[in-house]
Amino acid sequence: MENKNNDLIVTHSLVKTYQDNGIPVKAVRGIDLTIQKGEFTAIVGPSGSGKTTFLNIISGLDVPTDGEVWLAGKKISEMSGSELSDFRRDHIGFIFQAYNLIPVLTVEENIEYIMLLQGVDKEERHRRVQKILTEVGLDGYADRLPTKLSGGQQQRVAVARAIVSQPSLILADEPTANLDSQTGVELLDMMRELNKKSGITYVFSTHDRMIMERARRLITLKDGRIDSDETRE
Amino acid sequence: MLSLKIAWRNIFRQKRRTLLTVLTMLGGFTLSAISIGWADGTYNRIIEMFTRNRLGHIQVHAKGYLDKPSLYKNIKDYGDVGKKIAETKGVMSWTPRFFTAGLASIEDKSMGVQIVGIDPVRENEATRFNKKIIEGDTFSEKASHQAILGKGLAKTLKADIGDEVVIISQAADGSIANDLYTVTAILESGNMTQDRSTLYLHLKDAQELFVLYDAVHEIAIIAEELGQVDEVTERIRTKLDNPELKVAPWQEFARSFYIAMKADKEGAWIMLFVVILIVAIGVLNTVLMNVLERTREYGTLRAIGTAPLQIFRLVIYEVAMMAIIGVIIGTIISIPANYLLSLQGIPMPEQFTYGGIEFTHYYSEVNLHSLYLPAITVVLSALIVSLYPATRAARIAPAKALRSQ
Ligand SMILES: Nc1ncnc2c1ncn2[C@@H]1O[C@H](COP(=O)(O)OP(=O)(O)OP(=O)(O)O)[C@@H](O)[C@H]1O
Ligand SMILES: [Mg+2]
Repeated sequence: MENKNNDLIVTHSLVKTYQDNGIPVKAVRGIDLTIQKGEFTAIVGPSGSGKTTFLNIISGLDVPTDGEVWLAGKKISEMSGSELSDFRRDHIGFIFQAYNLIPVLTVEENIEYIMLLQGVDKEERHRRVQKILTEVGLDGYADRLPTKLSGGQQQRVAVARAIVSQPSLILADEPTANLDSQTGVELLDMMRELNKKSGITYVFSTHDRMIMERARRLITLKDGRIDSDETRE
Repeated sequence: MLSLKIAWRNIFRQKRRTLLTVLTMLGGFTLSAISIGWADGTYNRIIEMFTRNRLGHIQVHAKGYLDKPSLYKNIKDYGDVGKKIAETKGVMSWTPRFFTAGLASIEDKSMGVQIVGIDPVRENEATRFNKKIIEGDTFSEKASHQAILGKGLAKTLKADIGDEVVIISQAADGSIANDLYTVTAILESGNMTQDRSTLYLHLKDAQELFVLYDAVHEIAIIAEELGQVDEVTERIRTKLDNPELKVAPWQEFARSFYIAMKADKEGAWIMLFVVILIVAIGVLNTVLMNVLERTREYGTLRAIGTAPLQIFRLVIYEVAMMAIIGVIIGTIISIPANYLLSLQGIPMPEQFTYGGIEFTHYYSEVNLHSLYLPAITVVLSALIVSLYPATRAARIAPAKALRSQ
């Protein structure tokens, strides 16, 4: 109903109230938002404004207290835990602030992890890993362990892991917060390139002005509500 | 595959913790493997000494003989009975015995004796009769009026090899049984009480003396394996199919001995219980700590689409691998340890005598049972205590786990 062909994410009066020792904390207070396929969107706002909460809900990591979320034509706000788990595997790529690579797996194994869950065969996995490593500029790093990489390199591996299975949406909660600004900007430029090339939708949150400037659409949250929403060319 | 790979590599992350956990399981395994091997070894050795060398594993008597022994309660045509027994699966050997009492005299010394008529060839095959001879030679194969005396009896009668011994008793037909035999050997059975009063004759000589041709009072049977005595007993019963004959395994005809042995063996189970406890506490601690430390990692795996069951497996595999390593190393240690203890034995703090046999050493034994019981115990108790942490890991809420930076 709500989702015309080009809408990827649609939220309706989204509300999330946490219970903190019996005291209700209203993290999201009614967000109506539509994000279209292929967007490169930043969510910004002061600390505690609800960015993480919002991203968690639209990616099916958390469930809303009220309201609806549609993602790729599916109403995920009513899915069960295991449905959400499969949905995330097949439709969403995550990039985390602290990279969150699996320390015991090599770069290649980290990247192919989701494809393994999906049952992609070995040759195809290898082919895709090699291709993506070139795209993120990590040729020759396939057999390294994450601990032997710099923060910037680890986050590139995380980007590769997120996009290799060709999800509909990449979500990144403060992906550059642990990087110095130069490295952060480089990472964002790379993500923007990948976004242009593949058309995969990117939604990320940030505090960094330099990073915000690279977004095409900038949504500002304040106290769990949308404060402003601007799209630039 | 992937879960196995991650689980395997996770083992090497906290090397000290893993080492400690594996050592706990290995220690628990080895401890119980040795204690079971030891209990089995000591137990089986005593039973073997008691049955294999003397009583036999299974005995056949005329009905009522054991309750009230008598010359007349005998097994007729024992050769036929023996033949059927020999044909039974699981029987290694059988030997006929003739029991009665009489008076034995050498010169001016006399003594009431238990007369045991044996088939020298069969008796030696079944209970290693000849090994018990400490002086002189065993019976000739053909009956030739020879007697073998227990050590204590020989002393009382001041008997030497070659002496003539007179036996007086009453024959089955009521006539006086009276004959002269040459002492051919002196024997030490290991049962001193018995040796003070036992005189052995060739079966044919005994049957002739007591005018009971072709009859015996007992057939002792040695099974191929101690562990199969019950089945073999049942097979013999079926094969003989004779209500006049009673077939009993050693657990029945040596009941009090059996009960003593059984009580002793129970100690091994307490050991297993202790092992379960040690392993459970050690493993629970390790796995809980691992899961706690990896909350964010499992949260990440959950976020990117790993199913709860896969996380559960990850935790369980890791424990299973440590347990298997512990069991493998434990087996490598336990087999030679039990083997060494089976050769060497450990002196008992308190020696004891049972049924005239002196027991001085504990011996171990290498057997399957002493390996698979501890293996199952260790692996199962490790897995069972891991269920809780594994469930916890599987239930990690990704959003919450990812916030805990
Ligand atoms: N599990 C929780 N229990 C209770 N309150 C929570 C929980 N998670 C978040 N909150 C609260 O919800 C509000 C929104 O938090 P959220 O993390 O979404 O903000 P944010 O915009 O991502 O902040 P930051 O920029 O610091 O990351 C905050 O007031 C926070 O304290
Ligand atoms: Mg946040």
